[in-house]
This record gives sequence, C-alpha cells and structure tokens, in this order.
Amino acid sequence: MTGSYARAKKAPMKTATREQLGTTIIDVTGDIDIATSPDLRRTLLESLKKTPRLVVNMREVRYVDSSGIASLVEVLREARSTKKRLVLYGLNATVHDVLQLTRLTKVFEIRETEEEALQA
Amino acid sequence: MSCDKGSTPEHPATLPPGSPLKFRMRMASDPRLLRVVRSTVSELAAVWGFEGEQCRRITLAVDEALSNIIRHAYKNRCDREIDLNCQAHSDCLEFSFVDHGEAADPSKFCAQPLSELAPGGRGTHIIRQIMDEVCYERLPEGNLLRLKKYLPGVRSKA
Repeated sequence: MTGSYARAKKAPMKTATREQLGTTIIDVTGDIDIATSPDLRRTLLESLKKTPRLVVNMREVRYVDSSGIASLVEVLREARSTKKRLVLYGLNATVHDVLQLTRLTKVFEIRETEEEALQA
Repeated sequence: MSCDKGSTPEHPATLPPGSPLKFRMRMASDPRLLRVVRSTVSELAAVWGFEGEQCRRITLAVDEALSNIIRHAYKNRCDREIDLNCQAHSDCLEFSFVDHGEAADPSKFCAQPLSELAPGGRGTHIIRQIMDEVCYERLPEGNLLRLKKYLPGVRSKA
C-alpha cells in the first residue's frame, strides 16, 4: 500500500504538531492499530530528533492495539537512549486498559492533562 | 485462566437448545478492515451480555488475533482471506479464525514472561490475558485459532 490513495483510505489516525515552552506536543486523533501505527511511529521518532521533550496528547485516541503500544515503546527506548523525555497524557479508559494489560503503566510517564504533562 | 468477574449471567437471548447463535465473516487480510470488525465484535459482545470493559477487551483480543494473522501468517499481504466465525453459546462467546498462511509458532501462544521494553510479543499476551480459552491448531490448509470467553459468573471449563 503506497501513495496518497492508500494514505487517504487508512486515515482514521491523524497527527498534528505544536511547540510550547520548548516542548513538542503531538496531538493524535483516531485509532492506532496495525494500519496506522507505522505512521505514528515515524512521526514520533522524527519529532523526537528535534526536541528534548516530546509530549503526546492522546485525548482523541479512542483505540490502541499492541502494535501501537510497540510503537510507543520504541519511541520511549529512543528517548531514554538519547536522554530525552517522552510524556503521554489524556489517555481514555480503553487506552489505559491496554497499557495495564501489557504492564506498562509504570514504564511510561503518564499525566492527566496537558498542563501536568508540560510541568512533568 | 478462569473468568470470575461479575455474578450470575443474565442471558439476554433465548436460544433453542443446541442452537448456538452464529455470525460469520470472510474478510480480506487488509488492516483497514479491522475497524469494521472491531465495531461488529463490540456490538456482538454487548448483545450477548458482556458489559463495557469486557466488550472492549473481547474486541481487543479479536483484533489482536486478526492482526497476528495479517502480520505473521500472511506477512502483511492485504489480499488473502480470513474466515472469522463467532458463535454465541449459552455460556460463552467463541471466535474461530481460519487463515491459509504460514504456520504460527505454537510456543508464541503459551504464557511467556512479558519483557518490559521488548519490541513485540504483546499481542498474544493480551489475547491470553483476556480470553478464557486459547487453542491453536495447524490444519492441512492453514491455521485455526479458537478463542473462548465465558459470560461473567461462568467458570471456564479449561
């Protein structure tokens, strides 16, 4: 699957990037599954290269599967290896539950709000 | 794994004895269809008496099973077939998946310690965490995976 047609058709996930207080914030919208997690992984890894602290806004993420979790884990590993920060916030019950099932709630820095994430 | 959440099941449907409710899908191994399946499975679980969190978890387990087939059995090819059969028995929901791809490694379906920052292995872990019975069988023409989830208050027979 390549090209704009494929990208348009698998569009249930979108990302937007903002800068605030020296932090890069990625707003993620939609479902994160094997159709969309490669795009998320690419976006987060690219953004991490340019910032010391990456905050991921997951308020509009309604679903995440293990491939999405694997993408987040990969970004976290990269952040740790380059001594940068990755903070997640706004997780709904479904996303939080997947992190619990995979025993990762204590591994990630998770905050409730953007304000808390920026102060972390 | 036993299912000990909830109380005595209040069965929302009345079935003739020996006639489980069946629902069948034949889908292409295209990840874009996973959203469609998730919606359907979530509704099915709700109709069958599972509540919010359990519906979400059952949906996740089915989604993970399909993702494994697409990624591992079919090596991300989008044009192969997957048969998903759902049967609602009086005490459980049963899902069976048939594909015609490469054989799965049965050891991957066994309980394994989950490595914190390992790149993979979480999909099968999630399935085993959620479902009461997980059974993999290599068929002459492909793979068969069966997952069962008992209604709240019904003990697993595993």
